[in-house]
Amino acid sequence: MKGLIALPERCTGCQRCVLACSYVHAQSFSPSKSRIWVMRAKRKIDFPVFCNQCGLCINACPTGALYRDAKTRAVIIDENRCIGCGFCVGACPWGLIILDPGIKKAIKCDLCGGNPACVKECPEKALLFVDLNEAAFAKRSLFIRLMGE
Amino acid sequence: MEWYGYAGKILRVNLTQEKISSELLDRKLVREYLGGTGYAAKLMWDELKPGIDPLSPDNLLIFATGPVTGTLFPVSGSHDIVFKSPLTGIWGESRCGGFFGPRLKFAGYDFIVISGKAKKPVYLWICDGEAELRDASHLWGKGTHETARILLEELGLRDVSVNCIGPAGERLVRFAAILDENDRAAGRCGGGAVMGSKNLKAVAVSGSGEIKVARPREFEEALSKVNEAAYKFKKATVFAEYGTPGIVEPLNEAGAFPTMNFQTCYFENAHEIGGEALVKKYLIKRRSCFACLIGCGRHTEVKSGTYQTPAHEGPEYETINMFGGQLLIDNLAAIIKANYLCNDYGLDTISTGNCIAFAIEAYEKGLISEELVGGLILEWGNPTTLLELIEAIAFKRSGLGELLAEGVWRASKKLGDGAEAIAVHVKGLEAPAHDPRGTSRSFAIQYAIGNRGGCHTHPNWTGLWDFGKFDPGLRSFDLPWPPIDRFDEENVEKRAKAVKLFALHGLCAEILGFCRFFVENNEGACASPKILAEFISALLGFDINEYELMRISERVFNLQRCFNIREGIGRKDDALPKRFFEPIKSGPTKGQYVKNFERLLEAFYREAGWDAATGIPTKSKLLELGLDYVINQIPAP
Repeated sequence: MKGLIALPERCTGCQRCVLACSYVHAQSFSPSKSRIWVMRAKRKIDFPVFCNQCGLCINACPTGALYRDAKTRAVIIDENRCIGCGFCVGACPWGLIILDPGIKKAIKCDLCGGNPACVKECPEKALLFVDLNEAAFAKRSLFIRLMGE
Repeated sequence: MEWYGYAGKILRVNLTQEKISSELLDRKLVREYLGGTGYAAKLMWDELKPGIDPLSPDNLLIFATGPVTGTLFPVSGSHDIVFKSPLTGIWGESRCGGFFGPRLKFAGYDFIVISGKAKKPVYLWICDGEAELRDASHLWGKGTHETARILLEELGLRDVSVNCIGPAGERLVRFAAILDENDRAAGRCGGGAVMGSKNLKAVAVSGSGEIKVARPREFEEALSKVNEAAYKFKKATVFAEYGTPGIVEPLNEAGAFPTMNFQTCYFENAHEIGGEALVKKYLIKRRSCFACLIGCGRHTEVKSGTYQTPAHEGPEYETINMFGGQLLIDNLAAIIKANYLCNDYGLDTISTGNCIAFAIEAYEKGLISEELVGGLILEWGNPTTLLELIEAIAFKRSGLGELLAEGVWRASKKLGDGAEAIAVHVKGLEAPAHDPRGTSRSFAIQYAIGNRGGCHTHPNWTGLWDFGKFDPGLRSFDLPWPPIDRFDEENVEKRAKAVKLFALHGLCAEILGFCRFFVENNEGACASPKILAEFISALLGFDINEYELMRISERVFNLQRCFNIREGIGRKDDALPKRFFEPIKSGPTKGQYVKNFERLLEAFYREAGWDAATGIPTKSKLLELGLDYVINQIPAP
């Protein structure tokens, strides 16, 4: 199994991950249809952020539209069951699920079924899809690095 | 009917009447002019009354994106701002990178056409199709950094881009720039003064719309081709590693680094102010414009000392030359500070540096009185001169500041007594950091015929052919190959042909809405006409081949020319400053000067289909390009 991680030090803030994400999911270019965002903090940080698949949203859903994929362990939204109530959006502590303003349904990172488009499109290798333990290491060290900023 | 590539709409804002409306793009015009400065040229031709004062409410200010802007096209974070230039009185256009262009399209508009003048300072807020004018009295007087910061804060929790002016634009400095929220500038031609004259402090955009693709499968194939070319471009050039400052030293070594107000083309201390020095001492990180996989932006800071700056997007090659070599300043921290101040006040760094170099030389030659100087220090190599004059120009603070704020053309005319002979501009636009003598004779043609005046980048950096030895896929258009020597003035036909082809290729970037750097390499490592045509055909859903694309480019180029002709421009104005006929004083290109300018120009006229005596496009050329509607509105050749 693999995990998606970001190395913000490498990110130049180009947003190609955002465009790739919206294109594979909606066949159009629109940051509001992307499930990944690049947050810019003034001095130094460009930080790609996306769902870490914790699953807090699953229980918030009144229609049972959210479930965990057995293969990728990504939390997936069943579009047919989603009623766009936004409970999952409210439940996510990190702001990593949103309502698509066009289709008025919740959208979030689904790891592209195990082959994330954002990783392929990143010109700086700031996004990596790596072995779970490596991903865990990257997350631990990221926390420490950001504390030092 | 769906729009592909385009948002499909024009936003119209009349500031006098406080009226805002929108209209659909014209599909026929899209086929004939595509977008960006192409479609905008048609709007300017149809709607701008000839002869108007550029600083009057009659001027138009058009924010223009192209069909590829905001897509995954590798360098699509781009927009152009078009107006009649208060600096030159002719076609004014200025390109800006960043995020504004894409966000304008996500907000639902390809173009904003602004007319009239607001009663009091306002800003325009565009969000998801809605637009409104808001009071900007709290922003008036503030620098661009503070203006953008306040706007991002007050416009809420969303991604917003801003284009705004600083004190220089408010005070109508004729070369005032328009800046975005990340120090990206639409620098040239004085768009900032046009905004100032309209009491328009800023335009802010945000949107959640989408750009659709007409033929997805074909599009994905075309995209992977342009991506591959962009990665090759990135590898082949210095831009990712050193940004545009990476060309400081190579150009200097080639004797192509204009120095001391173009008296020479070699600066001994160039290594102190080059890309490597910048990266080693002051770079925080690289930053990209929207969708750019190259990432030439230098996020920079001077941490301490006299020239301390906050973190910001640092100086480009042009700025380093104009503040460095041209003024003999080898203190990179001072140049970074000067760049930061110009961005904050909203000044074009090229025109600013050129004006200051002119002032120092004029003072040295006794053409400026002590009274006019008013206690300012005017010396080569002195950072204080640079920083003091930036303040003086931006705030029109002293006699000299007020004079230089008019641009080098007007300033030299006012001074008289030989000052005009050392003013380096074409049609009023201050010449940038490239020299027809030291770089390539192609610039003798390019500077003379450029639609916005003496410019290195519009319509293209035409030295790519002989200086760079690049063929960006133009040989199927009969690009002469191999290129001639860069100083050759005998094979004028070959040079004229090359300049024209490169010009038309470069113009594609402004028409389609992407960063022009990406046309600057060999086929396979750049946006050749062929892969551009494939990409836009798949994106837009109608077939355009490379020949039709270049033809559209030629149509636009000639329409912009006719816009200038209608304003009174002709062969007499297609002239070079006197300096380019004087030998370079030192360095590897010592002794070089332009010898056969008239022959070069006439060869270009022939190649372009322009009348030799008047410089006006011939009737048959205009008919061939489908520009029959302009014929009755310009003098016959």
